[in-house]
Amino acid sequence: MSVASPAIGAPGSTGGATASNWTPADTKRTLVAGLLIIGLLIAAFVLNARGEGDTTPAFSLLIGASLGIAFERGRFCFYCIFRESIEERRTTAMLSILTAIATGAIGYAVLFGLFLPNPDGEGLPPGAHISPISLPLVAGSFAFGIGMTLSGACISGHLYRLGQGYLRAIPALIGALVGFGLGFFTWNTLYLRFISEGPTLWLPRWFGYGGSVLVTLGVLALLAAVLIRMNRGDDEPRFSPSGQTLVDLRERLIVRRWGPLVTGALVGMIGVFAYLRVAPLGVTSQLSTISRTFLDSRGALPEVMHGIDLMKGCVGVVSSAITNNGWLIIGLVLASFASALSGNRFTPQLPSPTSALSALAGGVLLGWGSMTALGCTVGVLLSGTQAFALSGLVFGITAFVGVAVGLLLKLHRLA
Amino acid sequence: MQHRSAPRRALVGFGALVLSFGLLGGSTVSARSLPSSTAPTPTIVETSWLEANLTNPKVRIIEVSTEPGLYEKGHIPGAYKFSWHTDFVDPVNRDIAQKEQFQKTARAAGVNNDSIVVLYGDKNNWFSAWGVWVFKTYGAKDVRILNGGRDKWIKEGRAFTPIPANPPKGNFTATSANRALRSFLPDVVRIAKKQDKTTKLVDIRSADEFSGKIFAPAGFQELAIRAGHIPGAVNVPWSSAVGADGTFKSPADLKKIYADAGIDGKKKVIVYCRIGERAAHTWFVLSQILGYDVKLYDGSWTEYGNSVGVPIANPAGTVWGKG
Repeated sequence: MSVASPAIGAPGSTGGATASNWTPADTKRTLVAGLLIIGLLIAAFVLNARGEGDTTPAFSLLIGASLGIAFERGRFCFYCIFRESIEERRTTAMLSILTAIATGAIGYAVLFGLFLPNPDGEGLPPGAHISPISLPLVAGSFAFGIGMTLSGACISGHLYRLGQGYLRAIPALIGALVGFGLGFFTWNTLYLRFISEGPTLWLPRWFGYGGSVLVTLGVLALLAAVLIRMNRGDDEPRFSPSGQTLVDLRERLIVRRWGPLVTGALVGMIGVFAYLRVAPLGVTSQLSTISRTFLDSRGALPEVMHGIDLMKGCVGVVSSAITNNGWLIIGLVLASFASALSGNRFTPQLPSPTSALSALAGGVLLGWGSMTALGCTVGVLLSGTQAFALSGLVFGITAFVGVAVGLLLKLHRLA
Repeated sequence: MQHRSAPRRALVGFGALVLSFGLLGGSTVSARSLPSSTAPTPTIVETSWLEANLTNPKVRIIEVSTEPGLYEKGHIPGAYKFSWHTDFVDPVNRDIAQKEQFQKTARAAGVNNDSIVVLYGDKNNWFSAWGVWVFKTYGAKDVRILNGGRDKWIKEGRAFTPIPANPPKGNFTATSANRALRSFLPDVVRIAKKQDKTTKLVDIRSADEFSGKIFAPAGFQELAIRAGHIPGAVNVPWSSAVGADGTFKSPADLKKIYADAGIDGKKKVIVYCRIGERAAHTWFVLSQILGYDVKLYDGSWTEYGNSVGVPIANPAGTVWGKG
């Protein structure tokens, strides 16, 4: 199926430099969306007041809401972006991922300088998603890539597209819960045989923080140059109004897709704020927590999960309360819904049985992959590369290859 | 203890109202100039005192928190971070940090021989109490705890900073480890076998661990394969010593709580817990606040309950491995 928003450009839009027709219905939808956002703000306020000094749940909700808007408005869907660049050589959107990494890396370097002034020792900056490189990381990210193709999105993609009415996300997320459960059963073997032996490679050990920023930006610039050269056309006509009117602003903010640089920079900044105040961005640990708690309550989990709680990444805990990551996800889905509603991109479609089944199967791969790789395209690819971890790069390359192989096998046709 | 300096403050003409605002940052320092017989070195400082002494070059602040990443995101200005599982313990031998290693870390934290070292942390100061015990073991003279720890400082709206402290190197010289503060397995076995009747044992774990109903609280991996407690021990959970805001109860209250369990300071005391760190909290209360003669058995239940051939008391009768 065509990805995300058939409604981009909005009803009546002819593209090009003219603003679309704004109808009274658009105004109503936008008002409802505004109320939803206000509701989220009130929820954050209440969470904060109830938190007895713990600001992290409220902050997580706001981070999730910001991400939901940035993802939805910029169509920051890793699968769609990968697929377009592979199948159609439309690579502009890839720049949003590169920009997110670049912005985040600069911010992370600033924070790392505070958190761990000397990167030469044995320590790693607290909480940062820097994990060992091992065969399971490669296997997990490859499975994740295949799962993306089969189910139509990565996990963050499913979450924000759920807000757009992409109902295929539901079987996919259910599949992911199953996949996480499977991941818990394979964990001990993989950890003892491979992960515990894997090297943790972190750029600042070799280059310091300044050097790591330079190396990262250099590599990103090279990649960007290649992508721009490969590009065979933009997603949609550019909106370049002659004047700066409120109507133009509305068009830019609500109707048109945000540019890749703006979207990427926002996602990168949100990542830095998240790391500073709560934890590196990730969207899977609440899902993984649901699976782990469910299995634990039935006594089905292995007695000991070796090393799992010492890993730096998105790992679920046993908890029946909503974790910070849960608040983030709630914020993400609801804000994406508000954002989609205001731009008339909320278009629920019921998936066919085949489509739902393939999403379910793909979801299982997403879950197992991100459990085994300790995170997904957000938690490992973004938060890892921003933290100068080579594990992030390995995840990114392998998941990309996974998507390419999935496309070659025409798995996306099962949708 | 700080409260003992209150009459002195009244003498120098400050009203009780002013005192209640906690504005007299220098009060404990003036107490220190008194002969030690009338005013022992205070072992607890209040948040207001610390705030007033943030720039006092004699004061060295150290954060010991259990949750990783807390210090980095914000700590009391000037505080240096000690990691409890590497800076206070030997990561290879099961022992406290070796003398040279500890001296090196303390010097890096800017601790001098005449420093007032103030420790604080999360979780009711559990691990900062452990830190005080290690500092005292290596001969530091003036080591205190911030009453209420990290949480109280935050709740009172006092400033935090993420900027790490970079103190000038200190000259702290560690003495050899003071054996008078520490107990080992044979010491407690003698009590269990009633060969030592002059020492009382205090088990500071939860009532369910003490009775043997559970081996360890949920989520803790360090276990003993026997449940219960050391024969002769009394159970006073560590949390009995703190109020809802995490501050220590008044000395009079503390005295009563422990006296009710038969710990009145007339006999020597040994405290223990599961892995040895939390018991430092009770060690602090009994020795540093109440002035009793107390040793910490840091081998604690994970050593004792796993030892072959030592007697245990297991009222609940729980058997390892039996379904």
